[in-house]
Amino acid sequence: MTRVVVITSGKGGVGKTTTSAAFASGLALRGFKTCVIDFDVGLRNLDLIMGCERRVVYDFVNVINGEAKLTQALIKDKHCENLFVLPASQTRDKDALTEEGVEAVIKELEHMGFDYVVCDSPAGIERGAVLALTFADEAIVTTNPEVSSVRDSDRILGILQSKSRRAAEGREPVKEHLLVTRYSPKRVDDGEMLSYKDVQELLRVPLIGVIPESESVLHASNQGTPAIHLKGADVADAYTDVVARFLGEERPLRYVNYEKPGLIKRLFGGK
Amino acid sequence: MSAVQPPTARPIDFRDATLGTTVAVLRLVEPHLLADAMHKMLGGMPDFFSGEPAILDFAELAGEPERIDWAGLLSLMRRFQLQPVGVRNLAPELAAGARKAGLAVLDGIALGERGAKVPAAETPPQRPAAAPVPAPAPAAPPAAPVRAGTMIVERPLRSGQQVYARGADLVLLAGMSNGAEVIADGSIHCYGPLRGRAIAGAQGDTTARILSTNFGPEIVSIAGIYKTFENGIPAALAGKPAHVRLTGGDREHRLALEPLQLD
Repeated sequence: MTRVVVITSGKGGVGKTTTSAAFASGLALRGFKTCVIDFDVGLRNLDLIMGCERRVVYDFVNVINGEAKLTQALIKDKHCENLFVLPASQTRDKDALTEEGVEAVIKELEHMGFDYVVCDSPAGIERGAVLALTFADEAIVTTNPEVSSVRDSDRILGILQSKSRRAAEGREPVKEHLLVTRYSPKRVDDGEMLSYKDVQELLRVPLIGVIPESESVLHASNQGTPAIHLKGADVADAYTDVVARFLGEERPLRYVNYEKPGLIKRLFGGK
Repeated sequence: MSAVQPPTARPIDFRDATLGTTVAVLRLVEPHLLADAMHKMLGGMPDFFSGEPAILDFAELAGEPERIDWAGLLSLMRRFQLQPVGVRNLAPELAAGARKAGLAVLDGIALGERGAKVPAAETPPQRPAAAPVPAPAPAAPPAAPVRAGTMIVERPLRSGQQVYARGADLVLLAGMSNGAEVIADGSIHCYGPLRGRAIAGAQGDTTARILSTNFGPEIVSIAGIYKTFENGIPAALAGKPAHVRLTGGDREHRLALEPLQLD
């Protein structure tokens, strides 16, 4: 049975694509056959983050329009054996996506034996974002610890409840997970940022993880390496924990407490 | 055809049923004037009637019109999602036109009636379309005896969602977020955070109340008397169980916000 997971947020720039790439890679590293689909038609980014932008020949819209076969459009990831990327089209807009088309693609992925389909949602609450969550079984709502991001996540949770197929057909609702990203324990400590507990209290959705703010994410994006592959980086550990919790394992939260630098560190610098 | 039918099946059966209808009491018959009035009343809630059958009542007509533009009247009603099925209290010379327009003339048929059905007066008109709320639409309450129903919402209400408990109390079992809006003709009970806009007594019931175990709304209103919280929620109430009601006499209603004692 294929599980469809949407990575969504409402607000832009919170880390949906970074999370989609890392999360899909994490599932693949665990041995699950995974496909990650870029729903951001017209503003294609996932291929860059996954480092496969030069291998895009056919895209999601080509498949929906019957101009290419799904197998022609799927790009095999260079890091993971079991991971495939379905890139968005850069030259079209979101009206090129149809509900029937998306459904047909997801059905075909199911036939091909995929365990997980990860849908990287565009920002906003319009067509692209709604289609990305329509077929979801689970949703990872990516939220930054600030009020506007929380408000937008709340909105998208409402849309999830009303517009997903599960809601429309009266089935068990989409399982919701809260992922707090770009978290800076120091700024929380200084009172400049909401704590992850505040965010969870506002949204009332089970927390699946907290991803620390990190410069290495930028480096990883520029290199086209999903953040989960960064050896020894806190971000990679945090994403690995997220995947483990998603698969039902218990993992304590890491990188959420600020430790004041000691005297020696302050004297001799260091990060 | 008959071969397909089982021999015992009758081609038609008659069963007794009671139909919940809306009675639209018209004081004017000019479609354009009515359109303006209905737009004013329902502008923010184009789906208020959600396809209910309606009986047009002409008892309170101001003056006897010479003719009635039935086609215009019916298309207006349909535009507001009402389905006119009949007329009553109509002068006999006009009733013929109604029959021709396909409406039943229902004089002398008793209808179990309730009070006036008025949408919330202070909902700002023409809000952007809210996401449809998964909560069940309030079923038509039994015609008689008059008993207020209760509408229960079990899932958290999210920003942008809107719920209207028509002719009923509203119970929120999972709270509501900032940017959501709940409207009830009766009281609002919120077990969980109350963070959006809460409008009770929307038809003018001054005895309606708003109760919450975790108080933090953007706006509260009872029977049109409202309060915003520009300077924040009073510290004694913020995030705590609280209770809103109207106090004062008929002319000097004031909203009273009080802590609520739980055990």
